[in-house]
Parts: sequence; C-alpha cells; structure tokens
Amino acid sequence: MLVIENLVKKYGSFTAVDKLSLRLDTGDIYGFVGPNGAGKTTTMRIVATLMRATSGTVKVAGIDVAEDPMAVRGKLGYMPDFFGVYDNLKVHEYLDFYGSCYGLSVNERKKRTDELLELVELSDKKDSYVDALSRGMKQRLCLARSLMHNPELLILDEPASGMDPRARIEMKGILKALGSMGKTILISSHILPELAELCTSIGVIEKGRMVYSGRVDDLMSRLTGKTLIRIRVLSDAEKAVRLLREQPRIENITGEANMLELEYTGNEEEMSGLLRLLVTEGIPVVSFTKAEGNIEKVFMEVTKGEDEVLQ
Amino acid sequence: MRMRFYNNPVLSSELKIRMRGWKTALGIISYLGVMVFIAFLYYITFIQSSLAWNRSVNANQQAGISIYTMLAVLQFILILLVTPAQTAGSISSEREKQTLDLLLCTQLSSFGIIIGKLLSSMSHMLLLIVSSLPLFSIIFLFGGVTPGDMIMLFSFYIITAIAVGSIGIFFSTIFKRTVTATVVTYLTMFALGLISIILSAYLMNIYYLHGGSASYVPFPLYINPAAGLANILQNQISGGSGGILGLGTGYQTSFWIYNSITMLVIAGLLVLISIIRINPVNRLFSWKKNS
Repeated sequence: MLVIENLVKKYGSFTAVDKLSLRLDTGDIYGFVGPNGAGKTTTMRIVATLMRATSGTVKVAGIDVAEDPMAVRGKLGYMPDFFGVYDNLKVHEYLDFYGSCYGLSVNERKKRTDELLELVELSDKKDSYVDALSRGMKQRLCLARSLMHNPELLILDEPASGMDPRARIEMKGILKALGSMGKTILISSHILPELAELCTSIGVIEKGRMVYSGRVDDLMSRLTGKTLIRIRVLSDAEKAVRLLREQPRIENITGEANMLELEYTGNEEEMSGLLRLLVTEGIPVVSFTKAEGNIEKVFMEVTKGEDEVLQ
Repeated sequence: MRMRFYNNPVLSSELKIRMRGWKTALGIISYLGVMVFIAFLYYITFIQSSLAWNRSVNANQQAGISIYTMLAVLQFILILLVTPAQTAGSISSEREKQTLDLLLCTQLSSFGIIIGKLLSSMSHMLLLIVSSLPLFSIIFLFGGVTPGDMIMLFSFYIITAIAVGSIGIFFSTIFKRTVTATVVTYLTMFALGLISIILSAYLMNIYYLHGGSASYVPFPLYINPAAGLANILQNQISGGSGGILGLGTGYQTSFWIYNSITMLVIAGLLVLISIIRINPVNRLFSWKKNS
C-alpha cells in the first residue's frame, strides 16, 4: 500500500529525512516514533503530497506521489498534527465541504457524513458550529474529514496530541475500529504504550534516519536482548519459580501471588519449550504471555542520539 | 479531478460563510452609508444652490452629470479600498488558521482553490457594486446620463475589482500573515498608481518636446485604472470626444478598453503565478520552499 524508498528531504544544508525506507502492506497499522524534529512530520507531509522530496520515491497504492499527486490524494486521508477549523461552519457542513473537495456527489456526502459522525461519536453535534467543539471533538472531526472519501491509507500525525486521557482512549477505540475495517494506517505519536498496543509494527526515527523498523516486541528484545514473560498460574507458584530457576536463559524472576514475571533471552521456540515444561510438570498455567515492558525506556535507549543504525 | 466553474466547493463554502451573520449586511450598510453621506453633502453644497437659481433642463442635466461623476469617482475609490481587504487574506488566512494543508491534500486543484477564492471575493464586491445601483439611478431624475453609460462604468468597476483582487490574491500566496499581505497590496497599488503617473508625465514631456501628436498615450497609463475611469467619464461627459484628463483625443475614446485588457492580462498572470505558488509539489518556486 505504501512504499518509501531512500527518501531524502533537505532544507539547504540541513537534512530532515535521510535515506528513509519503509513498506506498509494493506491492513498494516504502523507506528512512527521519534523525538521532536526527527523527521516524522516531514515524511508524512511528503507522503500526503504536501511537500516535494529532494530525492527518493514514495508510492501509494502503486502511484508515485511526485508523478500523480492528485491520484494519490484520492487514495489517502491525512490528518496533520496542528490544524484549524473554519468559523461559522456547522459540523455537517464542514464534512460536506471536504466531501465536495473530493468530488463526492450530494447524496454520497450526506451518507458519508452520517456514517462518519457515528464512527467518531459526533452525531449529536451534527448541527453545532465547528469552532464551538472541544479539542478532542475537533480531533475526531478532523479524523472523520480525512475519511470522507473512504481512503485506503490514513496518515495520522499525532492524532491524540493535546487530548485528555478520556479523549485519548476514545481516539484509540476509533483507530482500532478503523484497523478492523482493513484501513492501512501510518500513525505518529509520542504516547508510546498506546502505539505499541495499537500498531502491528513500529518504526523509530531519529535525525531523519530510521533506526528501527519492525514488530514492537522484537524491538524490545532486540534492544535489551531479553523478552519479558508474564505467567499466571492457578496454584503451585512456588514450585513454578523453583522449576524456572533451574532453567537456562532466565533472569530476574519476580511475582506476586500467582502472577510471575521473568526476563528470558531465548528465542520463541525455546519459549514454547518452557511452557511445555511447566505444563508437563503439572503446573496449572492459566496464561503465558510476552509482556510489553517499559517501552519508554526502550525508546530512550533507541533514540539516545547515537548515529549507529540498528537496522 | 475537474471541478465545474459553478460547482466550486471553495466558492460555495465561502459564500455560505460570508453571508452568515451580520458581517456582510453591516459591510453593505457601511459601504452605502459612506456613499449616500458623501453624495448628500455634495448635493447640498454644490448642486442645490446652483439649481435654486437655474431650473432649466440643461441645468438639471449638468447637475445629473456632476453627481454621476462624483459618485463614479467615489465608488471607484471605495472599490480600490475595499477589494484588497477582501482578497489579500484569502490564502494567508488559510495558513494562519492552519486549514490550507487540509485543503491542499484534497483532490481540489490549486486552480480551483485560487479561482474559488477570487470569485468569492469578486461576488462580494459585485454585491456592493450592485447594491449601489439604486443610488446611481437617482441620477436619471436629473438626466444627462444614459443606462448605457452606467453599464459601461459598472463593467469597468468589475474589471478593476478583478485586477486589484488578483494583486491581493498574489500577495496572499507570498506572505504568511494577512496583515503583511494587505499592507503590501495597498502599497503596491499606491506605488503602481504613482509611478505610472510620474513616468507618463515624464514620457509625455519628452514626446511633446520632440513634436509628438496629441493622440499619444504613454504606456504606463495602461496599467492605471484611474486613467481608464477618467477616459470613460470624459467620453460620457463630452459625448464621445474622449481623452484622458485633458490629454489628446483621437483613438483614445477606446483607451479604457485597452486599459481594461491590460489589467485583465496582468490579473491573469498574477492568478497563474498564485496557482503555481500554492501547489505544494510544484517544481517552479520550490527553491523558496526549500530554503
């Protein structure tokens, strides 16, 4: 759905994006993480046809953004990190306006407006003026705007910035719903645990360079070399701890009551062997999961400013 | 995707927003209020006293022409003052409100955006111009001016508004702040007006010194709408003998047409540059965005 190859964007002598490559398949939800000024917004703006790249190629659904930006605009919906709204325009008129900018007919616009207002839970605000909405509502409305033409790819630049916790949870719910609809989403955020929970893959960018791209848990184990495993047992927790201590590649077993946490350096095959062992030894295992761990710590580790590229 | 001229989303949305609330109504009331007030002052100061001692048909016609000329110049000045305020913020205000990116990433072309903005400003100006028609029609009570004269004058107003409006749009695409764009638009208009007159005076001086004919019109005057208006009024007052504020006659009866064409060509160029400028992936002017 989205292919970025060796993307470079320079502002004079400053390189904002440096040979960045990325690939998103249909249905992927890709989290774009990085400190301020890392080049996330620049990359997203180039994909959204709002900026020209210095070199490299960006293709959306097989269409080159530099060659046919108008066709690309029909395939993607873009939500910037900062945006404004028009005064004196009602919520349904706002969506209708953007629908007409995508060439939708009156009936299509009406239908899409109702559907999207329901999706973003703003149906009751249909006749309210846009500038009277709260920030969270405006963010949701802007998301609805980016969906008016039913795009295949969504580019969301910090969609939850400035939102209170409740609004963040609501936004996360909407994004999950979009993911289940099969939309391909490229999302940037500073709220890393939220991204980790939401995204299928994650990319860490620093100083314009992609320092990591892959699954979140792979990133965790790759950086720390350890996987955090959480095991819940019905009983015999002490026996389980004893058994685990005897196994290689296991460190720091902690736990409360029947919930155990341990750091494991083995691969997934060895991990399944560990589970098999516990079950064979008669430990009543209720759950055996890879935990996310402290992703903020990992993020700080990845973006500590080294020029070394992990990938 | 091609937007039809009559189905421009920017135009329909702007018209909706503009007509909502009291702002537009208040604008029309203020605009007409200024015109009526000045016209009334002019009438009681200059016309009433002269008609008091001479009530002939000829005197009435002279009074009509006099009021018409005064109103024509007044409306022209108001158009020059109001139009930049209408257009100079069209793109810069979108930038200030952070709505331009949202507009540019839709399938609406840069052409559609600029034309929509220009047309919405023009339609507002047209509303002001048309709403002044009843005031102008009072002149028919005195005589001396035909409906054809009025159509010619109002057509010239619309062309002037388009030309001035395109200057405003052009600067609106250059400057990020509306205040800067508006000030620069007014300064440019003033500078162009002044420079064209000074340069014309200089060129005429040289021309006459070398024994040139009276039909000579210096080329800088072609970009000055005030010269076009002077030509129209002189044509109408003198019954078609033409001239521009005492300059030569001859072919100059149609000077205002050449003046209008020149202004429209310049307007077209400015609109074209504006279209290219707001296109985020254009190759021209990209040095500006990358610097």
